[in-house]
Amino acid sequence: MSDKSEADTIKDIHWLMDILQNIDVGLVVLDRNYEVQLWNAFMEGHSGVSPQLAKGKNLFSLFPDLDEAWFKQKAEPVFQLKTRTFTIWEQRPYLFHFRNSRPITGRSKFMYQNTSIIPLESVTRQADHLCVIIYDVTDTAVGKLDISRANQTLSEIQVRDTLTGLMNKSAWLTVLESYYASQKQGCLLLLDMDHFRDLNHALSHQQCDEILRRIGAGLKTLGDEQHAARFGGEIFSVILAEKEAEEAMQIAEKLRRSVFSLGKNSQHTISASIGVAERLADTPSASEWLSNADKALYHAKESGRNRTSLFKR
Amino acid sequence: MSLNVLICDDSSFARKQMARALPEEWQVEVHFAGDGVEGVDAIREGKGDVVFLDLTMPNMDGYGVLETIRRDDLPAMVIVVSGDIQPDAQERVKKLGAMAFIKKPIDADKARSVLTEYGIMTGA
Amino acid sequence: MSAAAIINEDQRDCYQELTNVAMGQAADRLARLLNAYVVLPIPKISVIENSDLNMALQGATSDNSVSAVCQGFIGAGISGEAMLMFNDASFASLASLMKYSGPLTQAAELELLMDTASVLIGACIHGIGDQLEIVFNQGHPVVLGQHCDMADLVAYGNNGWDKALAIEIHYTIEHVNIECELLLLFTEESVRALNKKIDYLLD
Repeated sequence: MSDKSEADTIKDIHWLMDILQNIDVGLVVLDRNYEVQLWNAFMEGHSGVSPQLAKGKNLFSLFPDLDEAWFKQKAEPVFQLKTRTFTIWEQRPYLFHFRNSRPITGRSKFMYQNTSIIPLESVTRQADHLCVIIYDVTDTAVGKLDISRANQTLSEIQVRDTLTGLMNKSAWLTVLESYYASQKQGCLLLLDMDHFRDLNHALSHQQCDEILRRIGAGLKTLGDEQHAARFGGEIFSVILAEKEAEEAMQIAEKLRRSVFSLGKNSQHTISASIGVAERLADTPSASEWLSNADKALYHAKESGRNRTSLFKR
Repeated sequence: MSLNVLICDDSSFARKQMARALPEEWQVEVHFAGDGVEGVDAIREGKGDVVFLDLTMPNMDGYGVLETIRRDDLPAMVIVVSGDIQPDAQERVKKLGAMAFIKKPIDADKARSVLTEYGIMTGA
Repeated sequence: MSAAAIINEDQRDCYQELTNVAMGQAADRLARLLNAYVVLPIPKISVIENSDLNMALQGATSDNSVSAVCQGFIGAGISGEAMLMFNDASFASLASLMKYSGPLTQAAELELLMDTASVLIGACIHGIGDQLEIVFNQGHPVVLGQHCDMADLVAYGNNGWDKALAIEIHYTIEHVNIECELLLLFTEESVRALNKKIDYLLD
């Protein structure tokens, strides 16, 4: 097989070099001191650094942004164990920071990269060089990120009320159960709009939705540690974490007044009734606690609406 | 009387490979064992003057065989032939009394050089 | 047709021995990377049906919360895929052996998973390839999931094959709580080509 003419061999090498230059992946050969020995056109194109400039330069001084410690942790085993190693964009989005090069179809600010790092053996069978192969995986990465964002939105929909952005009933009940199980003190608050059906007839659906949205926004200002939910229709529920009855009643009153003020400039009365139940030493379950709040709410409705009641045995 | 050589490995392929790697001119009687328990039995029957011993085997592994040989003072020169090429494994078997360690896959050159180095096969 | 029909007993024995040697080479690299002793088991060679894959995986680790990486490889018309699974409990020990400082976040665990997978999968498939004189080219690894339930890992199924040769290697590291399972899978057409190489060795 060795009667291949020298001219043929040279031609083969010439072809290979052409292919290496034109292939649409990045190729970098580094020596034991991380000095660049080969730098193909892909690398030149995306980095703006020419092969002449790159040759013989230390990779980390050429690209100070490159995380030297991380890269060496990947590359050293390649030298020592003569094993290939791989990095994927999920670990680090990129090895080299290359800007998006496609103004129309590029959807990311930079190129996501996977890399293979392979040992190159010398005649003495030592791995004294390595080749870093850089793949542009921007399209795959952007697609995957889109999907994971969409999935996240979907799972949020399952626990969130879309109108107010508060938790929905089933999510809130789960939170209530675990709050109760944690043995913490606190108060439950149930807020129900008064005569909402009449309001629904008098106002447009959009206007009613807006009222609910504003109440939702008001409840959000209580903070995340006070777990608020749209319990259903025009009923809202809140766990006032570690609040005693007195403070809870003050919060409830403030809420009731701010709901009432929504109708200030309207010919329609907008109001809500609120029931509050403190967790008592003998409250036997989360559902009993909730039912106490419901009894207080009923009391507030019975006593003429637009008022706040505290559960009492 | 010719020398008794025992090849102890759970893989029939590995046993065959080992047997093929033995120098052709070496006048010996070759016996086989499929696990450590069989191996120890064969040694007790006098079939293992020289033992080529694998480490990972069911029933009793190579370490178990080495321990038994040492405990019962059985007359066997053991050469471990194993795919476990961690330096630690080599050290452990030497401590347990193995004479030499050969990395798998075995070939005729390696077998010959170990056999001559330790003077097991003379006049070659 | 019996599940074992795609390989005979001699071939099974030979696959086991080739794996034994390859996994020893892989273990040696891992041992040097971690500076620890890797305990080598007897590899398990079996023929599985597509529908059994999940069951095979379930049996593979004692823990249910796992992280896994897959990597395809191909050479001489023979292709297969390797999967490395870690018990999530392994990461803390792995981090200390690999001298990773800093908190053990999901990102840090991914680094550990990838670094170990590169060494173990690469050495193992090249070890098998060397003995059969096949140069395997590795594709890029794919993370199947982190902290997943085993059942969810392959929920999206491997279609397009009925039977496959499964090589399972259960690595443990001495004295520390690190357990991982390396699974190599070759589909039927590849097994046919592999068997030819094996028969040549068995002659």
